[in-house]
Amino acid sequence: MRRLPANFIIGAILVTLVVGAAALSLVWTPHEATQMNIRDKFAPPSAEHWLGTDQLGRDVVSQLMAAARNSMSVALIAVLLGGSIGVALGLLASAIGGWVEDGVMRLADLGFAFPALLFAIMLAAVFGPSLTNAVLAIAFINIPVFARVTRGSANQVWTLDYVSAARAAGMNRFAISRDHILPNIAAAIIVQATIEFAVAILAEAALSYLGLGAQPPAASWGRMLSEAQTLMYLAPQLAIYPGLCIVIAVLGFGLLGDGLRDITDPRLTRER
Amino acid sequence: MFQLTGFTASFGSATALRRADLTIRQGDRLGIVGESGSGKTMLALCLMGMAPDAAQLDGRLEIDGHDMTHATETAWQHMRARRVAMIFQEPMAALNPLRRVGDTVMEPMIVHERLGRDQARQRALSLFEEVGIPDPVARLRQFPHELSGGQRQRVLIALALACNPDLLIADEPTTALDANVALRITDLLVRLATERGMALVFITHDLAAVARATQDIVVMYGGDMVERGTTAEVLADPAHPYTKGLLGARPDPTAQARDHNGKRRRLPTIPGTVPPLFSLPQGCRFAGRCPVEIPRCATNRPAPQDLGANRIAACHLLRGQRP
Repeated sequence: MRRLPANFIIGAILVTLVVGAAALSLVWTPHEATQMNIRDKFAPPSAEHWLGTDQLGRDVVSQLMAAARNSMSVALIAVLLGGSIGVALGLLASAIGGWVEDGVMRLADLGFAFPALLFAIMLAAVFGPSLTNAVLAIAFINIPVFARVTRGSANQVWTLDYVSAARAAGMNRFAISRDHILPNIAAAIIVQATIEFAVAILAEAALSYLGLGAQPPAASWGRMLSEAQTLMYLAPQLAIYPGLCIVIAVLGFGLLGDGLRDITDPRLTRER
Repeated sequence: MFQLTGFTASFGSATALRRADLTIRQGDRLGIVGESGSGKTMLALCLMGMAPDAAQLDGRLEIDGHDMTHATETAWQHMRARRVAMIFQEPMAALNPLRRVGDTVMEPMIVHERLGRDQARQRALSLFEEVGIPDPVARLRQFPHELSGGQRQRVLIALALACNPDLLIADEPTTALDANVALRITDLLVRLATERGMALVFITHDLAAVARATQDIVVMYGGDMVERGTTAEVLADPAHPYTKGLLGARPDPTAQARDHNGKRRRLPTIPGTVPPLFSLPQGCRFAGRCPVEIPRCATNRPAPQDLGANRIAACHLLRGQRP
């Protein structure tokens, strides 16, 4: 067995940390994440509050854990939603070819040209700011990414002998896409999904920071950051903790995705 | 049953197949031989309706009297597997590495004949037995990497037979296999064709395999069918200079490695290589490499001449004119 690449190992550890905290928050947090206690505000770290409390006396650890859960759910739903649509479009483009392929890919280019934040601000302006709209916006920007990756990998698989054999056996393009193309490009899609997961976490944090994502009192790293911003001189640690969490989550998924790519596609492994 | 009339496949100015005439009837066993680039595989793909999208097709391709020359992909999907099936050169590459071979073989039955999974499994099982795969029950559940090359080719043959095709095209089915296994696969194909009354098109550059497997033979060069006849006659008494060259290039296992002067004897070859499709000679495709060439060859395409007894050859120097 080959040694696992370092980026994969570090990524896996960081991801386990974040996902573990998020999963744990489903059943247990040290305190109720949203429970305020004004008398205890700005409490220093203690056995009671491991990382202290914020300006409203809420327990920071509990908030960070709840925020991890929200962040993971947003990223998961957004990537699944955008990924499925994107993969379907990419497979379709590759299977049919011709003007359909050109059309889908030009639409994807159009999607790429659209900044996610701008799109989310637009959604928020029309439908009001909410976590749902943030999810939709992040899902939307994922569609062209997955469409492009899928179409590229699928086009390679379409030239292989076993696809010719399937055609010779009278399979139609959709059956071939489902049974032969998709399983053989799954690795590339999973790698992309992991990396897009990191992007989605960052986007959610950014949107919540701007007030376009999670609405109070729902916990969110981005919102914790924006609330702590005004208190930077008074309690800088309140900005540092959620910032660190974002870094750990984004770095973790990014490294994990890179590592998975190195493992599944040896051609892309860079000399180190 | 399958009929090509003046069938041409070209890519812009490059002609991969020039005015091919061919009839395949039930039970025929036809060998197609020629060097790489002679249009053998192109011919096979055209018979499957799988010519590359960029190819322009001319002439006529009929299956049971239906014109399929410009048929849609959907129309071809109905033909494939049930009327015509194909096995490919590389058994290593022609099986999806992520699917159990049983699922691969069952798929066309489920799609084309709407068999239930249990029925399909039963038929796959009996096909595996028919093509000589030992322990078929266990094999059905295995993945391609767990099988040897010969076994994979047998799986591909089972896949091609899944819906009882009338015509089986084998495109160099034995090239990637070692000699022993190749022999057995060749015999298997002949047995299956005979038992099922199925037509077989056997594409190869192995003349010994053709002699063993087929009744009729087509010799191809540069997209032309240069000679056609019964396998026995063509191999015994070739009429076209290219066929002669091809037969002359077989290594003679009884020959001494050195001649009487002690010089190392060279294997006989046809001088030169097949020119690329876009720079083929206008007349006879073999012009430029032909040992008996006359000026007319480079400019005029020799018409196929009937030599009697189903023998046809396309050369300006046949009969009486033979040097």
